[in-house]
Amino acid sequence: MMELLQFSLCFMAFNCFALAKFNHFREVFKKKLTDKQRHSFLATGWITILLSLVLSVLSEGGYGALLFCGYMALSVLMLMILYSFTVSWVKHISILNLSILLLSCFSVMIF
Amino acid sequence: MKENFFRSMTWLHTWVGLLVCWLLFLIFFAGTISFFKDEITYWFEPETHTVTHQDNRLAKQRQQINYAVEQLQNKAADSSSWRIYLPEPRNPLYTYSYAEPKQPGQRRAKFTETYLDPTINEEIAPPRETKGGYFFYRLHFDLHYIDVRTARWLVCLASLFMLIALITGVVIHKRIFKDMFSFRKNKGSRSWLDAHNVSSVLALPFHIMITYTGLITLIFMVFPYPAQTVYEKGLQQMFNEASPIRARVESSDVPAPLVSMNTILDQVYTKSPDADIGFFFIRDANKESSRVSVYLNTGKEVVDNGAAFLFSGSTGELLAEQGKDWSASARFYDSMTALHAGRLASPLLRWLYFLCGIAGCAMIATGCIMWAKRLRERLKPQQQAGVGLKLVETLNLATLMGLPFATASFFIANRLLPLEMVARADKEILVFFLAWLAMTVLAIISSSKRQWQLAAWLNALVCFAVPLVNAMTTEGNWISYLLTQKWTLFCVDFGFIIAGSLFILQGKKLRTASKKVSTRRFQKPKDLKEQQG
Repeated sequence: MMELLQFSLCFMAFNCFALAKFNHFREVFKKKLTDKQRHSFLATGWITILLSLVLSVLSEGGYGALLFCGYMALSVLMLMILYSFTVSWVKHISILNLSILLLSCFSVMIF
Repeated sequence: MKENFFRSMTWLHTWVGLLVCWLLFLIFFAGTISFFKDEITYWFEPETHTVTHQDNRLAKQRQQINYAVEQLQNKAADSSSWRIYLPEPRNPLYTYSYAEPKQPGQRRAKFTETYLDPTINEEIAPPRETKGGYFFYRLHFDLHYIDVRTARWLVCLASLFMLIALITGVVIHKRIFKDMFSFRKNKGSRSWLDAHNVSSVLALPFHIMITYTGLITLIFMVFPYPAQTVYEKGLQQMFNEASPIRARVESSDVPAPLVSMNTILDQVYTKSPDADIGFFFIRDANKESSRVSVYLNTGKEVVDNGAAFLFSGSTGELLAEQGKDWSASARFYDSMTALHAGRLASPLLRWLYFLCGIAGCAMIATGCIMWAKRLRERLKPQQQAGVGLKLVETLNLATLMGLPFATASFFIANRLLPLEMVARADKEILVFFLAWLAMTVLAIISSSKRQWQLAAWLNALVCFAVPLVNAMTTEGNWISYLLTQKWTLFCVDFGFIIAGSLFILQGKKLRTASKKVSTRRFQKPKDLKEQQG
């Protein structure tokens, strides 16, 4: 469950980085990205990616750092496919990502 | 100045990459497959598929070692070497073997192996003669058929070129973060550039790590001078001092009974209470010079050579311990090798390694295709393609489509070649290279889009043939593997089904692309400039 939490955080981070770009934001929300929104996306992205890295390293040490590199690759690949071929799914996938993130977070805290 | 710098970096990136891209593709392709070396070997030996993973693996290790030593005492008390391989998560088999007396002219002694099912502790029939995943592992740095030293030098040079291409690639890719998730479809060479960028950027840390650590694994061959200066007997002395447990002692003829294995195991478990023993080797059993080496599995630690102990087989005394007093640089070297080989990886990390490896293959493939595509787009309508362009296009088709074709053929050969065939393992490898040769001949005949399409169909055919042939020649098939939860076997079969489906997609895409080209030929060539980017 810890791995799922780390990956969800990493995926969310890259999703935020993608949404902080004017073209991707316009394709998803059909409106212009404001500067305030851009900064919020970037801040959330940086916080979640660092959280993912810290959690990976804290739980598994050097092995966790390797896992984190893998999570980054998988996240970017999935997002590239999502934004290039099925941009209408971005909202749904983002909600799914957030739900998995919360669920895995709760289960890590409980067990 | 700035423009000149970027231009020279682009030049370097293009030529350094292009010069070795086909060799690099082979190295990356074989390396990526060898992340699943043990799993592939398991698939290649259907005789062992009945063996299941045992419960309480660690608790049974002492009993298994004692049983194997007892058997070896009965079967080959005079043998110079005994080896015991205990079951591990990636390989459920439990094996012991002994060295036959060396024949004149023989460099290495032949080992006679006995395979056991650990759950019932009973012997099983020896599997068919095959190299399995080990072939890809050696192909990755020994390139087969070529002299080992020459091959390793070539691999080293290719890795060095790759490292330069990676660094220059990062420098010239000005919009590295801006275009991170962008892939523009159906835009000619612009799409290829996007695919090249995405596949490089998404696994950039992996690409840099794997290339750098790859060079590090062969560094003592490329740069032996410091060791030769410091140590009187050069590299051998350095390695002997770093791993005293591998040092050989003169074999003596004085008989001495082998000490009880429990004496040795008690010491191992005192030093390392959770020890997970991987291999257990005994040299010169029943002689005074007898040595027992115990190698422990490393688990998730980023070390390649984990804890290991050397005992005297006649007295049970601990003689040496590996890795205990290693310097920081020795540990660094060891962890670099561990990062490269990925033996530490659990299934999740192993799949992530595999994904990054595939991204590396895609990066190299798109790079060499893009070079040819750009040059062809710049040709004037009546202009003929030069020898260089034709050569690159032929090599592209032969390598990029030839290697998957050869790999699938290798898997099919394992199931179809007669079991009693002499030198069967070598024949399987021969099929691999013959299949590759066939694809090369296809590429020499023509490297047009139609030929690529034909290659894609052929690849799809052989990929789908793998699970089919497996189902016809063995007792299992990919559905039964799914139902009985034999995930290793299921993943191999399913991997080929996915690869086959991707080749069908490629074939269809090429058909629509060639149709578009043929209709465009009759129209005015308009957005050529945009395509060239």
